[in-house]
Amino acid sequence: MDRLHWKFEAALAGVQVRDELSEKCQKLFLEFLEEFQDKTGDALYLSDAQELIRPERNTLTVSFSNIEHYNQQLATTIQEEYYRVYQYLCRAVRHFARDHGNIPPSKEFYVAFSDFPSRQKIRELSTVRIGSLVRISGQVVRTHPVHPELVSGTFLCLDCQSVIKDVEQQFKYTQPTICKNPVCANRRRFMLDTNKCRFVDFQKVRIQETQAELPRGSIPRSVEVILRAEAVETAQAGDRCDFTGTLIVVPDVSAMALAGTRAETSSRVTGKEGFEADGIQGLKALGVRELSYRLAFLANHVAPTNPRFGGKELRQEDQTAESVKNQMTVQEWEKVFEMSQDKNLYHNLCTSLFPTIHGNDEIKRGILLMLFGGVAKTTMEGTSLRGDINVCIVGDPSTSKSQFLKHVEDFAPRAVYTSGKASSAAGLTAAVVKDEESHEFVIEAGALMLADNGVCCIDEFDKMDLKDQVAIHEAMEQQTISITKAGVKATLNARTSILAAANPIDGRYNRAKSLKQNINMSAPIMSRFDLFFILVDECNEVTDYAIARRIVDLHARNIESVERVYSTEEIQRYILFARQFQPKITSEAQEFVVDQYKRLRQRDGGGTTKSAWRITVRQLESMLRLSEAMARLYCSDEVQPKHVKEAFRLLNKSIIRVDSPDINFDQEQDDNKTEGQNGAEVNGHPGEAMDADEVEKQEKPAAAKPALRMSFAEYKRVSNLLVLHMQKMEQLDEESSLKKSELINWYLKEMESEIDSEAELIAKKNLIEKVLYRLIHYDHIIIELTKTGLKKISEDGDEPVVEEDPFLVVNPNYILED
Amino acid sequence: MPTVHDWINNPLGIVDGLFAQSNSCPDWEKKVVEYFKEKLKLNDAHTWVPSLNDVPLHYLKPNSLVKFRCMVQDMFDPEFFMGVYEMNDPTSNSKQVKCGKYKDITEGGQVDFNSRSTVTSERQTFYCVPIPGESQWNSFAGTSQARVVPSTSYVPNRHKRSYEEDDEMDTQPQQMKDGAQSSAESHGNIEPKRQETEAPSHDSFPSHCTSSLDLNFPLPGEKGPACLVKVYEDWDSFKLNDMLEVFGILSVDPALSVIADEREASSLLDPTEGMETVEEQRVHSPPASLVPRLHMLYAQPLVHNNPLLPSSCVKKPVATRTCTIHLSSVLGELASIRAELLTYLTHVLLGDSLAAEYLILHLISNVYSRRDVLPLGKFTLNLSGCPHSSPFTEHLYKVIQQLVPSSYRLCMSLHNMNNQRMVPRKDYTANRLVSGTLQLANNTSLFLDETQLEQGQLDATGVRNITALGNLISWQKVDYDFNYHQMEFSCNINVLITSEGRSLLPSDCQVHLWPTLNPPNLEEYLSAVQVAQVPSQLNKYRIYLSVARALNYTISDEITKAVEEDFVEMRKDDPQSMSAEDLHRLLDVARLLSLSHGQNTLSRDGWMKAKQLEALRISQTPQQKCVNGNEP
Repeated sequence: MDRLHWKFEAALAGVQVRDELSEKCQKLFLEFLEEFQDKTGDALYLSDAQELIRPERNTLTVSFSNIEHYNQQLATTIQEEYYRVYQYLCRAVRHFARDHGNIPPSKEFYVAFSDFPSRQKIRELSTVRIGSLVRISGQVVRTHPVHPELVSGTFLCLDCQSVIKDVEQQFKYTQPTICKNPVCANRRRFMLDTNKCRFVDFQKVRIQETQAELPRGSIPRSVEVILRAEAVETAQAGDRCDFTGTLIVVPDVSAMALAGTRAETSSRVTGKEGFEADGIQGLKALGVRELSYRLAFLANHVAPTNPRFGGKELRQEDQTAESVKNQMTVQEWEKVFEMSQDKNLYHNLCTSLFPTIHGNDEIKRGILLMLFGGVAKTTMEGTSLRGDINVCIVGDPSTSKSQFLKHVEDFAPRAVYTSGKASSAAGLTAAVVKDEESHEFVIEAGALMLADNGVCCIDEFDKMDLKDQVAIHEAMEQQTISITKAGVKATLNARTSILAAANPIDGRYNRAKSLKQNINMSAPIMSRFDLFFILVDECNEVTDYAIARRIVDLHARNIESVERVYSTEEIQRYILFARQFQPKITSEAQEFVVDQYKRLRQRDGGGTTKSAWRITVRQLESMLRLSEAMARLYCSDEVQPKHVKEAFRLLNKSIIRVDSPDINFDQEQDDNKTEGQNGAEVNGHPGEAMDADEVEKQEKPAAAKPALRMSFAEYKRVSNLLVLHMQKMEQLDEESSLKKSELINWYLKEMESEIDSEAELIAKKNLIEKVLYRLIHYDHIIIELTKTGLKKISEDGDEPVVEEDPFLVVNPNYILED
Repeated sequence: MPTVHDWINNPLGIVDGLFAQSNSCPDWEKKVVEYFKEKLKLNDAHTWVPSLNDVPLHYLKPNSLVKFRCMVQDMFDPEFFMGVYEMNDPTSNSKQVKCGKYKDITEGGQVDFNSRSTVTSERQTFYCVPIPGESQWNSFAGTSQARVVPSTSYVPNRHKRSYEEDDEMDTQPQQMKDGAQSSAESHGNIEPKRQETEAPSHDSFPSHCTSSLDLNFPLPGEKGPACLVKVYEDWDSFKLNDMLEVFGILSVDPALSVIADEREASSLLDPTEGMETVEEQRVHSPPASLVPRLHMLYAQPLVHNNPLLPSSCVKKPVATRTCTIHLSSVLGELASIRAELLTYLTHVLLGDSLAAEYLILHLISNVYSRRDVLPLGKFTLNLSGCPHSSPFTEHLYKVIQQLVPSSYRLCMSLHNMNNQRMVPRKDYTANRLVSGTLQLANNTSLFLDETQLEQGQLDATGVRNITALGNLISWQKVDYDFNYHQMEFSCNINVLITSEGRSLLPSDCQVHLWPTLNPPNLEEYLSAVQVAQVPSQLNKYRIYLSVARALNYTISDEITKAVEEDFVEMRKDDPQSMSAEDLHRLLDVARLLSLSHGQNTLSRDGWMKAKQLEALRISQTPQQKCVNGNEP
């Protein structure tokens, strides 16, 4: 209240009231400037002050934390009574500068405060804040041109010709109240002597609340900011800046001061009957005025905003892990630290990221790694290699592809969601075409926006026009996008990860065909995706139950039942932090990568077991990127073999998940040495698998009984059945485990209805044993417990099936997949 | 009928009185709010308050209590003002402490800026417009009985004046009129006949306002008062696009415009002086005669804007007698009303009862919850098989308009798609949110008429509009354009698409129209069907639809299990026939079907019925022969 009152006084009258507090403050501040030393013992602000000699300089930037350090009380006074003492502080700067340099006496100086500790939101600016020093941040939405503002006027009294100097101007043109010549009583007739006046650069900008601070469903608030002196032109529209200064209310004095002096010019009033205008004039003469004030924020210092957490800048080039850490509160940092220590981090992040999407763990992992990203590199020749990971999800309609994309758009900063159908990088138009037969309208191509430094989620990628796919292709590899318009070719930066979703050509994924045959995408574009996931609407009782449960739950319960280990903000914070790591590959990991790559290549070239596509250097690059992302996920400075291993596994999974061919048990037992642990699922697509089978048939025609082969889906079904049963039994009685023979018998009993003859029974038994063997030895889903104390230890290489009847348990790490 | 109510005619007197009693103890502010809340709670009290929606502005007394049923279109920056100020009275030469709350301008006299007793307070300004697309029956069936009918000067003809004329008139003469008005006011009850004859004339109004000032209505051709609502308490609880019933003090003081004009003129002279630019001026301080100020005393968020139902926020049923009768009778005979409505809609849909059934389900759909990004409960219906370029869709829209409180028909012609502004955009020069067609209040029915579409080019705006419509349908949200970024505003809009083939927009459910009737003159037939419905019958439908939509709904654990098993079973038979999406839809249909029968829990029977309904629908939907790019 007092503050406001004081301000009015100053504003209205320009009267200099002697203010002891402010004078004391000025003295202390000058002392601070003189005495404050940096670590080496030099006066910190001396050199800065000497710089002020230069004609274009007039502002001394002082770190507020230094003042706090020097004299807490002074800092408090400045903070609380900022508007009141500001003039005095500037005066202290002037004295300081004058003491240390030859400076023209009329030059005005200003002080600016950096490093102000706390930061207010625009929404929190209330009447309480008027006059005190605060820092606010916001996005600059509008800038006005810079123009000179009269700070202090020199007037000539038109009556006695005496000169009145230093009349302070506050936001409005203020004449002296009375001529200072005691014998002259002039109060009205003065002339401004512009040559002897002092001006300062003045600029208005408007800032607006950032999205992150905004309560949902509200319009962002904005505030007008006044910048002066060296602060002008530092903020551009679109920037996010911090402003240190104070909230002021500008009394709307014009209505009073000018009442009755100006003729009515407005169209609204003219043309009315005389008495009306008079009536209004009369009202005005009585001093009727609006009750509201103009609001503004008077800023002395502008600085670009540091990336805020949960804000929209996950990526900032000149950030380091250290600086990111410094911007966190203690609690936030502790949480990040706690997360980095989490042994189950990988899994927890996945589940927390997509709490409402059931299953599809591999896709979740892939997207997670995409958010972490690999390290962008520049080769010695200056070619830059992207670090962004691109992911493509191919799948049947209604398999929650869009939900993945929507989730990412919601979560990731600067994410763009667009549909390939209505998007085009090249043109900004689209055609509406009517299908004559079905009377359906179809839209072809539209505008595509590519976000620099973000994630671009493109739904229906396959529907995209071919030439746009080419543009995307460029974006994916060169990280730029070229737009040719009106003969001018512009190249824009588009360092973006792409998350695409595509529908298979026939509407449904055809397992009989290869991936390439299933989607309408050119090979070069396909090769730009690091990870391909295929979502198939599989018919499987376990999955169906899970899906049904999830959907019905969604509809049945209104309460939020989403379970997350970490909140969205925590993950965003963590990813921001982890992304600052630039992991280097260790020599160990290097060897491992080379090994894995060689194996992929060999298998690729080996003829019999070909992969879905040719393994090229691109896959090697992908593997590196994924490994780096993996290392980042664990906040590790180096890429270790374990990171590569996961990257390799994911890469494998992603390429050929549904292409798993029929499982041939005979072959497996033969060449289990060459096929690694991934052998079961890493294989060619069915076409090639058929070739392999044929070859095999020729080799050992006798062994290739049809019963010994089963489709992968069938194999999955049987294994799920077994695991379910085992888990059920384990739950019933924790102590007892199933014996292998018991399990086999149970299975055969289950299958009783399907078995007609003895031969079939034997075949089934044979088959189930093979399945079990595979589950135990290849997939490690079931663990064999051999009781060493009771029976003689089976020797290495022996077939345990024949010799013993071991107890079987489900691998505790195995989660029923769907 | 009430006689003179001081609290309605002169609320400021009461405010000042309470302020004077308080001796500058700050809780007088609470007392004021309490006082008016109490007054409004009295049985029918709120119906005595004249409504800005129904009564032309110049018949309302300045500084009286009025109510306004509106939608928050924009939120301006907070405003500081002198809550308490001291004034030198020039006549008596004495100082007086005055209260500045609920006022725009000072009373006559010199304000003492140096006074110690000045208190700076904060208030928030909302730009409010009448609820977009409100149906005619809505405003005229209104509960407001206190329609001001000045006995002398009310000539319906004058209703038709444009705003331009209005504001020339109402600076000074208005105050003279006021005297006459206050005595003539609150005659209440206008005979229903009058209302009905008035309705069509209202429609034929010159929809365009010739004024240079754009009142920023979301829908083209809208009219009605826009209002600057000043909020003093709890402004953070209001959200954009909220429907509110505001009770506040009307301020139309002509001095306001003069001050504003002056500032505008002065800012032209010296740009350094004014903080606002001319454009901002125009938007933030429009002439009070055009955009009155309303100082909010009390606001009631509206869950629905169906005047036939009591607003559910009011604990006590305060509906007028007629309303309560309606309501209970509707609940009692729900089944028969549903049957009648079904018959009516079947007639409208040329004898296709299945489409009528789905239309009912659509009309009672409502986004009841959101899970992450997924809106639950939306039921966008695509009515395909509508004849191209025939009056059918227009009539269908008229029927829907008659049934729902607010609706809008968007003809998806290329011209409209390329030229209409659908997504609201922030204009930083004028510092306001420029509205667009998709800025609609909750539960508005949006009728997209794709039969109007023709082949041709969509330009950049067109593509953006199509994308916005798609997002609205799929995610029930609109991304407002803030130039530097987009901001997501969730909404709850029932979208119905009529098209010839399958719509190019996504939808939750496609029903193909199979007419069984083939009237020789379609237009005549459809008009006849509509005319056949008596108003009381229509009112029953209206209440029925609003009630059914608001019902709670649960699924018991037992049914949950059954549904899960059923799903797995269906998948076993034929996995292609039943996807996760289908289950979603089936559950939606089951929910809406149950609600439409007034059941608030899913029964086994209801589930079976939903399945049958869906099976029938799918069997009647023309098969997609190939992928045309419109897949969800």
